[in-house]
Amino acid sequence: MIIAERKPIDEILEFLSRYQKVLVLGCGGCVTVCLAGGEKEVGILSSELAMARSKEGRPVELVQKTVERQCDFEYLEGIRHLVKEVDAVLSLACGIGIQTCNEAFPDKNTWPGVNTRFLGVNLNVGEWAERCQACGQCILDKTGGICPVARCSKSIFNGPCGGSQNGKCEVSPDTDCAWALIHDRLTRLGQVDSLREIMPLKDWSYSRDGGPRKLVREDLELESGK
Amino acid sequence: MSVQADFQPKIVVFACENSGWLAAEHAAELGLTYPEKVELIKLPCSGKIDVLYFMKALEKTDGTMILACQQENCKFIKGNVRAAQRVKQTQNLLKEIGIEEDRVGIFYLAANMGHKFAEIVQNFYDRIRELGPNPGKVIK
Ligand code: SF4
Ligand code: SF4
Repeated sequence: MIIAERKPIDEILEFLSRYQKVLVLGCGGCVTVCLAGGEKEVGILSSELAMARSKEGRPVELVQKTVERQCDFEYLEGIRHLVKEVDAVLSLACGIGIQTCNEAFPDKNTWPGVNTRFLGVNLNVGEWAERCQACGQCILDKTGGICPVARCSKSIFNGPCGGSQNGKCEVSPDTDCAWALIHDRLTRLGQVDSLREIMPLKDWSYSRDGGPRKLVREDLELESGK
Repeated sequence: MSVQADFQPKIVVFACENSGWLAAEHAAELGLTYPEKVELIKLPCSGKIDVLYFMKALEKTDGTMILACQQENCKFIKGNVRAAQRVKQTQNLLKEIGIEEDRVGIFYLAANMGHKFAEIVQNFYDRIRELGPNPGKVIK
């Protein structure tokens, strides 16, 4: 899932400072699960913003709504009438949802209410960790199901580097060395010998080095384009 | 801080039905009174309290609190621990927008503590009176 975190309140108040009526828009997807931008967070943030603005003597009217997913244009169609009534939108979805809103409603600003942090997993209540960087050419088959791109601080392929100490990464004692994890997992699976094979250079053109990515599946496309 | 002579704070008291709520009933049986503008809301456990409830209460009042069972004595084991955590979270939100953290609090008592109930509510009321009206109140 995509992990996000609410932006500092002063930043949000600054974005909204010139508006009288704002739609605070949550997303029922990833940000609901990571407790950053679901229905409840929309409610709490709206209360906080309303109080902050009342305190400044410049009250703001806040419309609250949470859609199923902000990263799908079809769910945004259903709130077009709400967007029409407000001066601006504050989105609590990830960067994808925020951009989709800006694209769907080009005549109004949709402001970011969260910082989108990474693609990760929920380890504990209130604790998340990165697991994937969407490199576009997955190599988990070769690394015991542990991603060296996202979990090795240097994203190295034939690791570990010289900074690996007692299973920890030299970048921080709180960070597991991904290559130690890979080694241990492959040992457990009885496949550690596979590490003797040198991994070739990664083709980063599938990742960000190839510029913004787009995926087209002609088999799925409809004639109408939608 | 000086107390405005005519200021009567509005307060919402969320009360666990196993302690605070029964203590309020006990206080009534004993004929103890508390300030007029204190509204009591019954919860099935203090752990039912949510940051959103506190924030909604603060949109229209000057202070809010949760009455929970004595520490280590929650019928649902961790309800009062969770409630304390949510009080802290709400205090953090208030702090970041410059509103006094004391406007939200948690107090522990048992069902048979009518006197304690009256004392907690009165002390909280007095503290809020000292702070003055909630500067962030949205619904005046
Ligand atoms: S908009 Fe972002 S947070 Fe919401 S479902 Fe889509 S990817 Fe997840
Ligand atoms: S190898 Fe690439 S696609 Fe696979 S988990 Fe790692 S970053 Fe994600």
